[in-house]
Amino acid sequence: MSDDGEVVDPRARLDEISKAKCVKQLMSYQACVKRIEGDETGHKHCTGQYFDYWACIDKHVAPRLFKWTK
Amino acid sequence: MSLVAYRDLIGVAYTEEEVKAMAAEVEVEDGPNDEGEMYTRPGKPSDHFPSPYPNEQAARFANGGAYPPDLSLITKARHNGQNYVFALLTGYRDPPAGVSVREGLHYNPYFPGGAIAMPKMLMDGGVEYEDGVPATETQMAKDVVTFLSWAAEPEMEERKLMGFKVIFVLTLALIQAGYYKRWKWAPVKSRRVIVDVIN
Repeated sequence: MSDDGEVVDPRARLDEISKAKCVKQLMSYQACVKRIEGDETGHKHCTGQYFDYWACIDKHVAPRLFKWTK
Repeated sequence: MSLVAYRDLIGVAYTEEEVKAMAAEVEVEDGPNDEGEMYTRPGKPSDHFPSPYPNEQAARFANGGAYPPDLSLITKARHNGQNYVFALLTGYRDPPAGVSVREGLHYNPYFPGGAIAMPKMLMDGGVEYEDGVPATETQMAKDVVTFLSWAAEPEMEERKLMGFKVIFVLTLALIQAGYYKRWKWAPVKSRRVIVDVIN
């Protein structure tokens, strides 16, 4: 996709663009990360917020992604 | 891919000669000969794709205890199979805060349980496409999924074409049958029955 022969995956660019639409989920994930920062028990995790965030990103990336494939 | 035979590729992706050449590159163990011994011979188009491991234990040993599933039907065997396989192949990410996977496993949010034994296999530029298409992860994953969907349902296009024809003809038949039934029943449905008193 660029001139020097290196291939660049459109996914990275589309993820960046979609981040703007998923700010709420990103904030909620980051809040969770902060909350469990000091945790020692090892049982706390942010999988829920992580899934919400990435589901939102995937939802926005999916309709746009295949324009860039053959 | 042990359910797909080399000859299934003829006319779909390769010519017969190409398929014969591809099959002949593989050594296949064949049944007892007249002396009762098993022998190996080069492959024929009628042979199925060879399995990389002789049995399940060898497969588990080579993959850290995990058994790689046969992929012949994988897109039909998983819910929303095509999207699932694509997401799985491109979805290797860092785990969320608080989650760690043990040594030997990798985090993939699309895999049930999150920890998958297969490492990320698709890297940008991993393959050279003959027609010069840039080999991005997305492109390669799409091609893999297309191939696996074909392998799971090679007859799909023909089946759906035939399906349209069948539904069309049956709809015409339905209309004709409906009309004929109502035509035959018309005298019955339009008669009047009068219940009267007998003096």
